[in-house]
Amino acid sequence: MIAKVDYQNVNDRKPDGLKTDGTPYRVLVVDDSMFVVKQIGQILTSEGFEIVGTAVDGSEALEKYKELHPNVDLVTMDITMPKVDGVTALEQILAFDKEARIIMISALGKQDLVKKALMIGAKNYIVKPLDRKKVLERVVQCLK
Amino acid sequence: MRVEYINPFVEATFSILKEVLNTKVERGELYLKPTSHPVLGVAAIVGLAGDVEGRVLFDMARETAISIASIMNGEELTEFDELGKATIAELANMITAQAVTKLHDLGFRFDLTPPALITGINMEVSSPNVEALIVPVTLPQGKLEINVAIRERA
Repeated sequence: MIAKVDYQNVNDRKPDGLKTDGTPYRVLVVDDSMFVVKQIGQILTSEGFEIVGTAVDGSEALEKYKELHPNVDLVTMDITMPKVDGVTALEQILAFDKEARIIMISALGKQDLVKKALMIGAKNYIVKPLDRKKVLERVVQCLK
Repeated sequence: MRVEYINPFVEATFSILKEVLNTKVERGELYLKPTSHPVLGVAAIVGLAGDVEGRVLFDMARETAISIASIMNGEELTEFDELGKATIAELANMITAQAVTKLHDLGFRFDLTPPALITGINMEVSSPNVEALIVPVTLPQGKLEINVAIRERA
């Protein structure tokens, strides 16, 4: 006798953006490019993440992080931004909350700054152009 | 102008355009332009300063810019709005950053300015004392010209 298998459930998987209790991971997206903010938003929300805030430079990022804390699980941080850059904002956010999970976003050519950010305490980095699979992979690693 | 400066920009343009547009990219013949010449309608300009100085201009018609930005955003843009401008500026940023990484690997040291976007008709760009080398690129979305004017610092 062949066992009956419910194939509908075989491929069910929990989206990457949901915690074990079913609530979404909350993300603050920091980038001075409207295009990149939109792109990251599309990739993350399609996997169930919730974008709880956006900021266009480092000083706004710190302000938003303090305002959202502790209701933010992850920050995506552009490196090159006007006023206050991403590495400085990373330092400032970690000084406020040493448990902050921050992932750096950079175009190629900023390897020295990426290394500096990782030394300071960034959890990971993503190089532009943003690839959906790579973004989700790095974000998930960062949240583990 | 030394060809070592040009190749990284050409390679980076091809690699990034193929990746973000997922399309066929064809390169035309290189040619030199006089120091003053008209631009096509939308120009993203990135400045370079260090061992070498100059600028790279990504020049295209407004319709081409709208088509490229539409594909990169996964939605039909009907005008060249703020999102379209941010998209083209980011495209220039990604291409230049990749080219500069290659040039850094070859031992050249210089910094980039953030991309600036210039739009309009009947515009002309001038780079006194530097000749501009043009790499025409043909895409299904239209024509794009990579216009590189770089010289070694005196």
